[in-house]
Amino acid sequence: MKKLLLALSLFAGLAQAEDVLHVYNWNNYIAPETVKRFEKECKCRVVQDYYGAMEEMLAKMSAGAKGYDIVVPTGFAIPPLVKQGMVSPLDKSKLPNFKNVNPSFLNTQFDKGNQYSVPYAFTTTLVGYNDKKIKELGLDTSSWAIIFDPKILTKIKGKVTVLDDSRELFAAALMYNGYSANSTNPAEWKKAAETIKQAKPYWAAFNTQSYIKELTVGNIWVAHGYSNDMFQANQDAKAAKRPFGIAYGLQKEGNTLSLDNMMVLKGAPRPDLAHRFINFMLDGKNSSELTNMIGSGNPNSAAAQFVQPDIKKISAVFPDAQAMKKLQQLNALEGKQLRDLNRLWTEVKTAK
Amino acid sequence: MKSKSLAKWLISGPPLLYLLLFFAIPSLIMAFAAFRFPGDYGGLMPLTTANPDTGATELLINFGNWRDFLTLENFQRFFDEPIYFELFVKSFWYAGLTTVICIVLAYPLAWLIARSPRKTRDLLVLLVILPFWSNFLIRVYAWMIILGPQSYFSRALNSVLAVFGVEPVSLLFSQFAVIVGLVYVHLPFMVLPLYANLEKHDMALLDAAQDLGANAWQRFWKVTWPLSLPGVWAGTALVFIPALGMFAIPDLLGGTNSMMIGNLIKQQYLDSRDWPFGSVLSIMLTFTVLLLAALAAWAGSRGKDKR
Repeated sequence: MKKLLLALSLFAGLAQAEDVLHVYNWNNYIAPETVKRFEKECKCRVVQDYYGAMEEMLAKMSAGAKGYDIVVPTGFAIPPLVKQGMVSPLDKSKLPNFKNVNPSFLNTQFDKGNQYSVPYAFTTTLVGYNDKKIKELGLDTSSWAIIFDPKILTKIKGKVTVLDDSRELFAAALMYNGYSANSTNPAEWKKAAETIKQAKPYWAAFNTQSYIKELTVGNIWVAHGYSNDMFQANQDAKAAKRPFGIAYGLQKEGNTLSLDNMMVLKGAPRPDLAHRFINFMLDGKNSSELTNMIGSGNPNSAAAQFVQPDIKKISAVFPDAQAMKKLQQLNALEGKQLRDLNRLWTEVKTAK
Repeated sequence: MKSKSLAKWLISGPPLLYLLLFFAIPSLIMAFAAFRFPGDYGGLMPLTTANPDTGATELLINFGNWRDFLTLENFQRFFDEPIYFELFVKSFWYAGLTTVICIVLAYPLAWLIARSPRKTRDLLVLLVILPFWSNFLIRVYAWMIILGPQSYFSRALNSVLAVFGVEPVSLLFSQFAVIVGLVYVHLPFMVLPLYANLEKHDMALLDAAQDLGANAWQRFWKVTWPLSLPGVWAGTALVFIPALGMFAIPDLLGGTNSMMIGNLIKQQYLDSRDWPFGSVLSIMLTFTVLLLAALAAWAGSRGKDKR
């Protein structure tokens, strides 16, 4: 009898397994309650798989990974996916909620006319800081000068980390010098490299891995990093009942924007469910849940009303039109440009 | 006779095959990659393409156009700029310093273990191996906490320094922290071969030396040390070579000026996506280590001839 029950339940499991959506997404990039609600609505199961870096996702895709329906790449990874024929065009007639997307995030250089991609969420790269210390010292964090100007840095020597990422750090230095974050002009790159070399002796480290913890503990007062991480650092500081918080804001010279997009893969087992999922995620309430969870930037105009008020007022989450103009997505560098930047990066990292 | 050699092959075959498959072939692929161009999306520029009509794989490279696919540019870059050479020198200095500190710390410990009663000895060896039970990265993170400015250790040290009127020091994110991390991680690899060697020494030799009038220092320097040299060399190889290629410790504990050659190689493969140059750096590193080992072996054999 028991065996029969087991067989029956197995069979039931298989029958249920018919409707499965496979989502390949960034780690910790969807709210669990949103997934549950979608599963209930579509009477299907969502299977998630995660990546921690674009390189990882692109490598897996290039190696011929099959079976995923949806992938959520950052802007610069869209062209490689399109050019290598790994994604299929979206059927907009199945996406009535597409109208919710803030037009400022549409029609980007990576996918003109959004044939293949729909904005999902974003982060900005900015300066996060220990609010108490910075107030005590009377420093201004609204300019990149806080991490590049030696005159200001003398006051916070050894208490600053910058991202260990050539593109992001060079983008910040370029914008500080008044150039475009995507400049490929050798003279401008050289100027940016000089800026970095001058500031380097004052920094504690190039750090991409542990700056959240260092900020939360109070070892570091100023960090160049991603808005989501600063949000988490602040949550952690609150949870640990620290006498300070981690504040963050956009810089007046401009910031880089990493916009993540939903795409349907070519050969997706369930393109119908994939479109249904994308439309579901474009709903204001569903989209707001991720922002409420990790403080991610939200390109969905309909989501604003569902976002917690204290998060809504952070300019890095919902930038106003003025700030929006100064956000730039980084291009993918290719060939010689990549090698030249790489050379400069090695030079600034080994410089004394 | 025949069956004997067959048995020999059967026994040594699998490990040989393993080394061939997972060491020799990847090394050759890497050596080849050093002469190629990077691809547009990272990796390498492809040498083959899929024919859009038939789907068959076609070779792009031929005798006429090989210059478009193979280059010495990557090596030229290495020799053109002094920064790479300087980074090599710095990494050798870090690894060398780590090895010397490990010898100085491990020798007395290994001696103590080797001279303990058998029961305690096993326990002590177990304690030396114990750190391997937890993940290496977790242990390095622990050092981040110990060396961090908010830690009791840092605060105690700085309050002692303040008594002498010395400015407070920051331990984390410094070359000092990198050396501490390197020594900590590699110390067991020095203790174990030294212990294995020292344990076998015949105590009668030391008694004989004493009877012949040698003092404690002479007994160590003339008897124990020369006999322990194989252990020292084994430990040196186990510490120096991995320390030389280390990238995780400088990444986590190092400041803006503690980069090692391993970090540069990792950067080429992951961040800059320049596999050919990463391959050049790896080859140069392997080559330098082999050269040093050959020099050491040559110096060793000359030393023996003299004696």
